[in-house]
Amino acid sequence: MASVMKTTRDVKGVGLSIPRPDGPEKVTGKVQYVADIQPKGLLHAKLLRSPHAHARIKRIDTSRAKALAGVRAVLTAADMPYLKKKAPTRAHAVLAIDRVVFAGQPVAAVAADEVAIAEEALDLIDVEYEVLAAAVDPLESMTPGAPPVAEAGTEADTSEAQAHGSVSGVAAVAKPAKAVNISQQAKLARGDVAKGLAASDVVIEKTYRIPMVHQGYLEPHAVLAQWDTTGQLTLWASTQGSFNTRSEVAEVLEIAENRIKVIPVECGGGFGGKIRALCEPVTAELARVTGRPVRYVMTRREELIAGMPAPQVVIKLKTGVKRDGTLMALDGELIIESGAFSGAVLAVGAVFLASLYKWPAFEVRGFEVLTHKPSIAAYRAPVAPHTIYAIDSHMDQIADAIGQDPVAFRLRHVQREGDPMANNQPWASNAGYEVLERLAQHPSWKKRDEWKKSAPAGRLRGTGLSLGGWLGGLQPTGATVRLNPDGSLSVLTGQVDIAGTNIALAQIAATAYGIDIDRVKITTGDTDVAPMTGLSAGSKTVYTVGAAVLQAAQDARQQTLKIAATELEAAVQDLDIEDGKVVVRGVPDKGVTLASIGKKGNLYMSKVPPVLGVANPAFTQQAPAFAAQLARIEVDPDTGEVTLHEFVVVQDVGKAINPLACEGQMQGGAVQSLGIALTERLMYDDKGRLMNPSLLDYRKLTAADLPNIECIIVEKPSPAGPFGARGVGEPPIVPAPAAIANAIEDATGVRLTELPMTPERIALAVARQ
Amino acid sequence: MAKQVLSFTVNGERVEALVQPYVTLLDALREDLGLTGPKEGCGTGDCGACSVHLDGKLVASCLVLAMQARGRSVTTIEGLARGAALTPVQEAFVRHGVPQCGFCIPGVLMAAASLLAENAKPSEEDIRYAIAGNLCRCTGYTKMVEAISEAAGTAARKG
Repeated sequence: MASVMKTTRDVKGVGLSIPRPDGPEKVTGKVQYVADIQPKGLLHAKLLRSPHAHARIKRIDTSRAKALAGVRAVLTAADMPYLKKKAPTRAHAVLAIDRVVFAGQPVAAVAADEVAIAEEALDLIDVEYEVLAAAVDPLESMTPGAPPVAEAGTEADTSEAQAHGSVSGVAAVAKPAKAVNISQQAKLARGDVAKGLAASDVVIEKTYRIPMVHQGYLEPHAVLAQWDTTGQLTLWASTQGSFNTRSEVAEVLEIAENRIKVIPVECGGGFGGKIRALCEPVTAELARVTGRPVRYVMTRREELIAGMPAPQVVIKLKTGVKRDGTLMALDGELIIESGAFSGAVLAVGAVFLASLYKWPAFEVRGFEVLTHKPSIAAYRAPVAPHTIYAIDSHMDQIADAIGQDPVAFRLRHVQREGDPMANNQPWASNAGYEVLERLAQHPSWKKRDEWKKSAPAGRLRGTGLSLGGWLGGLQPTGATVRLNPDGSLSVLTGQVDIAGTNIALAQIAATAYGIDIDRVKITTGDTDVAPMTGLSAGSKTVYTVGAAVLQAAQDARQQTLKIAATELEAAVQDLDIEDGKVVVRGVPDKGVTLASIGKKGNLYMSKVPPVLGVANPAFTQQAPAFAAQLARIEVDPDTGEVTLHEFVVVQDVGKAINPLACEGQMQGGAVQSLGIALTERLMYDDKGRLMNPSLLDYRKLTAADLPNIECIIVEKPSPAGPFGARGVGEPPIVPAPAAIANAIEDATGVRLTELPMTPERIALAVARQ
Repeated sequence: MAKQVLSFTVNGERVEALVQPYVTLLDALREDLGLTGPKEGCGTGDCGACSVHLDGKLVASCLVLAMQARGRSVTTIEGLARGAALTPVQEAFVRHGVPQCGFCIPGVLMAAASLLAENAKPSEEDIRYAIAGNLCRCTGYTKMVEAISEAAGTAARKG
């Protein structure tokens, strides 16, 4: 694929900060999300959820609920004979069969005329539970004798990893006897670790722990389901991938995929949490049995209790280096707690831990562990903030221990293109080195000593940085580009546009075809009409769908030129598109308008085919993308409060198709990263029940907690991406936890190895110092 | 429970609706009046997505009972521009590329309008505090602050 397109003049397209065309709809409240759609005859669904993390269901009596006026259906697993006891994913575990495996798991479903009636009906369902011992802590859950989570024989689920940038060359390992809750294992090794550690001058060993966090999208999960009389199901879904939703629902309900139409309604944020189906199958079943449209909207409390959060991760890391800074060996253990169902990106996480820097000898052992908690899903560069928190906290400590500059130390050892990752795959072209080098030129890094000395009485100041990234996801995808009878272009994909990616795709089409963006309209079609398109995930929308749009636009351009060539009696290679006309180069007055070509494609008895550019590439080449971040902070050592004074993101985007949108991703990702670093955690009691199921107690960062996020865009073109673009969404969520931990140590001298770095933890660590 | 007559002013127009006494103002606006601009992000007053003006004051409409608005005046995002296409802050939001998923945006704009009604020349800190009750997960707030600042004619530091 060509990475650079040439047109004779610059069109309004790639490289410009063009605001998204649906902006006015979004700022006037006119955009419709699922919960805003209100068809006639609408019923409202509610789910009864288990209060216990692990229990046997002895009896469910729904008779009182069914008798309540306004209740149209009450379902339990017994009403859905196609449900399987060995549910491989959460989507399959529509309603619990016999046993609940996390607090918040649905056991019954109600559809009623009003939300309040459905809620009242839930109170009238009698469930008798026999409470069982729950596996709550991942380390305990790994040991023989822990209460089993999955039904014996349930397969591990690795589909999430595949969507997010899979890696090969990772050995699977047999699990130790009777450790029933270890659902996946991976091992990566090279060289002699014991020898390397023995020959090291400085050995540092730490355990890092990152709790479960919620993706935090503002729009809770929502779906509207309706069947027609011929057995066709329509789902209006808040999803990151309508084709994925269709497949999962079809599989669970055991119906053909082409009998389901998924309409991707405006999605109020996903970040990985709206990839997998969750409440779609049960809502569809309620709609089927009632014959009415049924809408289900999760409450925030339900989201926090029973969404699909990011996993808890424990990383044990031991490294050895020579006094002169030579890296010797790394020994790591990565434990990912997946909750009640398998699905962690274990192999990618394990590879990441040993791939960023050049360790001549390493061993990384990875374990996915099941517990009696809600099962997890991706969250923007899944597990990368966790692994980078460990490794880049470690790198700072090593540099400090041997008295070297933390940036120079990293730059000396950071892996570059062609270097072998831990799975022996060579690193693809990337700018990890360059973004870190660029950040080190920032005045706030150069003046870190002045900042430290400027602390007012009773306060401490520090600066920290970190480097992190993501491999970039891949997925086959399709797109079409049509020339309309008025000379405008219509682009069609099935890509769900959450953050404003459609404008970037339209810019790609504009430049590739040779027409201004104002003449391009892009549509996200439903699963009945759009070409198969992948997830809005894995930082791959612009990288893969953009490439499909680019190729389809090039195809449309070639078709257009061919039609014009006949008419102009000229060779295709002598033609160009300028100002809405196909012209012969050097003969400016000889041309034919795009409108006339478009018209002939739609004329009765015309012999000119309508221009229809089509592309459906399946990618094989990933484009890793890196971000380096710097935090300038002030700490109150008595209260442990951290004030962020500055935060800088330097990121390689390959080519900024739309710089404004790139900045939006960098700033939003950075603040999510800061939330993981400073405030966010799902807190469970020893029975596996969530203790903070509200946004008052699950603390997200607000505008008042933050400074403006400074963005510096670096462009190192990717070999295969459209115009050299790389994925932009995920890298910025990666570095902040390590950057903040490094800044806190710079300010206070204490090293925090558990997230979030709350005031309480900081103050206690300082007091113990 | 018997429904009650709620008569009040919404976006400058007198309206009447039959609502259950336990219904929130947010639900009455969304379900009974079809004004779905205000969003429910939490239902507990923590996220600000449901923000509207009640007699000119910023409130979380998920924490107000519909009947508490009887005889009073409510402005939602749909009525913010009062017939004009967009307010200067809305225009600035579009130009600065603020909306990503967009779910928080109506609430943030109501908070921003409330701020500017009380303080025509807010500092960056004033703006940050004014929208601190509005959670946004996509933007990191920087472009919001810049857009509000630009619309108010006060220059925020470029992020």
